[in-house]
Amino acid sequence: MAIAQRKIFGGFFLTVAISAGLLVMALSADDQHLKWDGSRVSPVHRIPLKDELNQEIIPTESYPLPFSTRTTCAPCHVYDQIRRGLHFNATDADRPAGRPGEPWVWADEKTGTMLPLSYRKWKGMWDPRDVGLTDWDFTVLFGRHLTGGGVAEPADKDITPESRWNVSGKLEINCMGCHNASRLQDPSEWARQVMRQNFRWAAAAAAGLGEVGGMASRLAATWDLFDGPNPDDTEWAIAPSVRYDPALFDSKHKAFLDIAYKPEDSRCLACHSTAPIGDEKHEFDGDVHTASGLECVSCHRNGIGHDMVRGYEGEFKDNDGPANEAFTCAGCHLGKEADKGGKGFSGRLGAPFPKHNGFPRIHFERLSCTVCHSGPLPAKEPARVRTSRANRLGIFGVARWATDMPAIVEPVTIRGANKKLAPHRLMWPSYWAEAKNGKFVPLTPDRVLAAAGDTLNAAESVARVLIALFNIPDLGGTPVLVMAGKVYELNLDGVLDVSAYPGEAPVDDLLWAVRKEGKVLPLLPEFDPDAGEPNPDAEAQVQRVLLALGAMPGAPGDPVLLFKKALYRITNGYVEKKENPAPSEKPKLAWLKDGKAKPLFPDFARRAVLTLTGTDQTLTEEQVGMVLQKLGKDHVFISSGKVFYLNKKGNLEARSDEAAAPVAWPMAHEVRPARMALGTNGCTDCHKAGSRFFFGRVKGYGPLRTSRVEVRSAYSFMGLGKPYHVFFGLSFAVRPLFKVVLLAAALVIGAILLIAVLLALGRASGLIEKRR
Amino acid sequence: MLFIIITVLAVLGLAFRLTFFRFLAEIPSVDKRDLPALAGAYGEWLGDGMRNFFKPGFLIKVQAFYRTWVGKNYPGWRQWVFAALVVSFSYCAASGFFFAVFVPRGMFGILLLGHVMAGGLFAVSLATALILRAGAFRPDAGDPGSEKCNFCPVLKNLPKKGILTALFWMFAAAGLCLIVTALASMLPYFHYRAQMPLLEFHRYGALAALLSVMAYFDFGMLLRRG
Repeated sequence: MAIAQRKIFGGFFLTVAISAGLLVMALSADDQHLKWDGSRVSPVHRIPLKDELNQEIIPTESYPLPFSTRTTCAPCHVYDQIRRGLHFNATDADRPAGRPGEPWVWADEKTGTMLPLSYRKWKGMWDPRDVGLTDWDFTVLFGRHLTGGGVAEPADKDITPESRWNVSGKLEINCMGCHNASRLQDPSEWARQVMRQNFRWAAAAAAGLGEVGGMASRLAATWDLFDGPNPDDTEWAIAPSVRYDPALFDSKHKAFLDIAYKPEDSRCLACHSTAPIGDEKHEFDGDVHTASGLECVSCHRNGIGHDMVRGYEGEFKDNDGPANEAFTCAGCHLGKEADKGGKGFSGRLGAPFPKHNGFPRIHFERLSCTVCHSGPLPAKEPARVRTSRANRLGIFGVARWATDMPAIVEPVTIRGANKKLAPHRLMWPSYWAEAKNGKFVPLTPDRVLAAAGDTLNAAESVARVLIALFNIPDLGGTPVLVMAGKVYELNLDGVLDVSAYPGEAPVDDLLWAVRKEGKVLPLLPEFDPDAGEPNPDAEAQVQRVLLALGAMPGAPGDPVLLFKKALYRITNGYVEKKENPAPSEKPKLAWLKDGKAKPLFPDFARRAVLTLTGTDQTLTEEQVGMVLQKLGKDHVFISSGKVFYLNKKGNLEARSDEAAAPVAWPMAHEVRPARMALGTNGCTDCHKAGSRFFFGRVKGYGPLRTSRVEVRSAYSFMGLGKPYHVFFGLSFAVRPLFKVVLLAAALVIGAILLIAVLLALGRASGLIEKRR
Repeated sequence: MLFIIITVLAVLGLAFRLTFFRFLAEIPSVDKRDLPALAGAYGEWLGDGMRNFFKPGFLIKVQAFYRTWVGKNYPGWRQWVFAALVVSFSYCAASGFFFAVFVPRGMFGILLLGHVMAGGLFAVSLATALILRAGAFRPDAGDPGSEKCNFCPVLKNLPKKGILTALFWMFAAAGLCLIVTALASMLPYFHYRAQMPLLEFHRYGALAALLSVMAYFDFGMLLRRG
């Protein structure tokens, strides 16, 4: 018994000892990889790719699995440490939010929803979880510009029932998205794969390691990775698969990954581009730091923990990274006070020392460097810009992905948490909401669309007709709608474009036509239905048009042509002429339902198309009123800094409200050269009557086309008063004279003092006799 | 912080010295060895002086004194030069020291604008006052006069005229420092690190000007009570 016990205990201790030994070895291996050996050379990454099951990938297999960064990179890099980094830790409750950054904007143009979201607790931004977005929803919406990891790679306990993670796989950290130096790295491909819900395949496709086909979004929710391809469906619900590029692999199936220790700027700019609307690409200067040879990561550094330096003043309070304060503007240009040892050293990375001659010190105490040095110069109104993440930039293809909305403007100078003014980017939130307990709770676009019916489909109702007219045989051109002297035509994305009518506009207020060789010709030929003799050619064209309309999906009735005393309709595939109960002078295409003729699209849609087409706005006040009526009481629409609601008479009213306040976040780039900074031309760059810096205006703007918008002055954002700055600005008109007066007074006083000193010396030396 | 300490100590110290010596001169019968009694008497004397400010005839007395003194030293249109100097210096000193001592942020807003404008008036009026009055304070004056002034325990029995002359030129020099430092900070020749000492010079120049004015007022202008 005792021997048996000893054996058991002995075996137990041996197991514990071996396990402990292995653990220590594993830990020291990790530690070893975390430590830099001193070489400044990045190792060549010729490594075996591994799938999410930690199996080495053999590219020549029939259906190899996509490579997993978690397992492929793990032998050398601690994935769980990296995923605590800045790009992945937004939901980590133990991390301070830090200075506000750009929100994710839930943009739905049809409902006019532009809702700023952030998992970090930043003012004015909604937590996605509070507006009903699960990790899955968020990843589907924004995965196009996510780095992977974080919410896109939820723990199993966080998976919600309606999600499809089992089909799509998780969106692991896309290491290659930043560190791939290959020209093949394609952020557009990443976005496409994410849109197809091919999450686990996206990294391989975007990195150019292989070709990914299939769409997880079309697969049944029960599909699993181990189900493999569906042999019964080779056209629609094709399971995603990857075909690796064999040229990248050696005979031992090791792949060459062109890894860069420091990501190139273009990798960062895939998600962090900002550019003014209206400018041409070649006009854009970019940041002066880039022009002088610095890279994004020259300042935005990180260790293996990927806790990247954001570079704002006071970041060390939010993040105890060792170098956080060293890479602010002052960190490089002025040097760190504590390191100076009397005189100190500045000029890190070649940063020139700013003299700021003649600037009163209050500028350095109350203004961030970026106020004078970053972004566009102040104008009457801030400039509209688009950003990668908000406006879906950098996704290239036949279709147009980029959007003009949300309307983001810069620079708006706002006082930050550190009491210093700083230039910000700003947007006005726009969303439908329900008043609950004194707060406005946003409605999801789905809920709004469900309630709105066709009210928000104005342009689509016209587009549907135009698409149907494409089916007219031998049309010979593009069907168009002529309204109010303008031509409405579908573009490649199926969206209406508007252009001027070529030549003299027709008298008709609404005319279906066809654009042929630059000319706009009526769809229906001129003919007189009341004439005794029928016109076979004209009736044949009427038949073709009515047949095309009749084939329109979801047609609300039978298509008819009403003209004078005739009503043309299709009966048994042929056009039939009947008596028109309501004769009309002009030919009118309509839907006939229950004996009543309705226009091809409703009148409100006509007004909406006339008002909105050619603009970046998507809603009229009429539509908002109609939707609010359908949503019921206690519902509002927030846009352009105003809350829109229906009064007791059912009319649309607008009022200012804190819930409609703009959302802003500080901007740092693009930094202009010193000689293009504010103040280069003197104080009057800012301090003068009518100064754009102080008296510029910021007007509310959103998807709703309305004149009822919030207008705020620049000084109000700064928390400053107008009278003082008007008066102060005016004082600079006499400032040169003031300096001359001071100089003259100083010369007079100095001269008299000099004489007095000379007299005193003269008396003391005996050169001058004592006066009596 | 150092400036605040020096300012408070210097202004209170000089105010104490001036009032206490004036108290001793006005009430010679007080027993200097009985400290509690001395302090009590001094406090009572000070209180009386303060109460005088609120007596109905005080403003008339001040007016009469001003007319007499200004009429003698700045006759005719010259009185406006003196008035401008007094008003501008008073405003600059009050606003400047208040913000320097009590407001960590420093001066800002309309008051700062007023400070700058008053500073311009101060510069012009000081230059004019010097042109008008420098001759009365020639440092090569031969006869210091017989009136003595017990300025401090160390420099006993100094001629009053000599002290007033020194205070006059001290004020002028401090004024020049104030004007030059203000002007220099507006010119595009001094960077941020050079502006910090400029501001310090400006502050200490203002303190010197204030102390010289306090002392001059006591020695040269204020009559003995009664």
